[in-house]
Amino acid sequence: MVGLVGVIITFLTIMLAGLFAGLVGSMTGLGGGTVLVPLLTLFFGVPIILATGASLISTIATSAGSASAFTRQKIANVKIGIGLEMATTTGAIIGSFTLYFIDRADLLWVIFILFGTVLLLSMVPTIHRSMSELPKDIPPDRTTKFFQLNGKYFDPRLKKEVEYSGVRWFQAEAVMFFAGFISGLLGIGSGALKVMGMDWAMNLPMKVTTTTSNFMIGITAATGSSIYWKLGYIQPFLASATAIGVVIGSFFGAKLLMKLTNKEIRWVFFVILSFLGWDMVFRGLSNSPIVYITIMSQTLYAILLSIVMIAIAYYWIGRSRKIAKVG
Amino acid sequence: MPKWDSDLVTSYILRSGVVVSIFFIIAGLALVVIRNGAAGYDLQQIASLNSTTVTSSMINLSDLFSGVAGFDGLYFIAFGLWVLIFTPVSVVAVSLVEFANQKNLKYVVMSLYVLSILLISIFVL
Repeated sequence: MVGLVGVIITFLTIMLAGLFAGLVGSMTGLGGGTVLVPLLTLFFGVPIILATGASLISTIATSAGSASAFTRQKIANVKIGIGLEMATTTGAIIGSFTLYFIDRADLLWVIFILFGTVLLLSMVPTIHRSMSELPKDIPPDRTTKFFQLNGKYFDPRLKKEVEYSGVRWFQAEAVMFFAGFISGLLGIGSGALKVMGMDWAMNLPMKVTTTTSNFMIGITAATGSSIYWKLGYIQPFLASATAIGVVIGSFFGAKLLMKLTNKEIRWVFFVILSFLGWDMVFRGLSNSPIVYITIMSQTLYAILLSIVMIAIAYYWIGRSRKIAKVG
Repeated sequence: MPKWDSDLVTSYILRSGVVVSIFFIIAGLALVVIRNGAAGYDLQQIASLNSTTVTSSMINLSDLFSGVAGFDGLYFIAFGLWVLIFTPVSVVAVSLVEFANQKNLKYVVMSLYVLSILLISIFVL
């Protein structure tokens, strides 16, 4: 009977971790997996391979949940999404097998460091995004017509129909291949990279970019998950707990984000995220043959670095906003 | 043929995929607890979080349907997780049909490519 209680408690705490990951993931726009993998590995001692497996399959559920709303409202551009999926799914296959070889070679500490680095770098475009909803005017190029990258959607806040035309399709495919690779390698949706591809390369409006990215994440994650399944990276019990938790968490995260009038509170979540990023880097370094750092110092360094980093980012963004207002 | 809105169909598939999958996962968890294990493993093995635990490669997918029919908890969970994997696959299939309806040859080819990558990852690799 004690065994049963223990199992139920384990399940519920992991589900809560998933809930928290879904909440922070959707509040910051990075997705549940990016928060879930560090939580499971750093605080639950779950082997990173099983953490990535649980994370990737949970990502499908969150993507499907939110994409359901956005395709109905016709904001997500399914056509552009499918075209770009050619690169992400291919990348996901290569990423998944790269993880397999890294696992085989006993180099999983590299995944910790990579994960932390990707997490910290993905915060840059997410924090920076804030400025403008609509893209600069860039004239359509050859790929716009050939790949039919035109579209329109109704923006409820601007109260008008927004028409757009994407450009530089091939550059976007290149970014997407990398996004897919990272998704398969680290077990995350890599939404930040997908957003970058559509924002920087294709110059699509932010709403279209984020919703289409959400739609695409599920397709990429399904590719990686089915390979993970055969490699034995998915632990059904763990994946069940995280899938349920993350779905609930991101549902409430999205609701909460709409209600928040004071967006400043998002900075708290960015501090948490950067802490997790740095902690992953230090854990990886500590597991490597390079240096050894005690767990206590890992945590301490991670806290200090993330506070400094976010304070600088906060100050910097605040200043550029003021300049933008004056100008 | 009546006109169908592929965006709406996609939206329904996505939502029902998640609902069906979560249903099977929860039912599976309940079955594992009630029957104190599943697929020949006991509860402790299934719930353990170290590397010696029951992982996906130990679940024989050719037994998936018979396992579900036999009310085996682990196969219920596995079925739920595979419903999740197949949800985006069916979305791509819907897009393929829609592009074919529009006679949009370029995108028929592109969605065929994506669909085959998915099916290869599921059935071949």
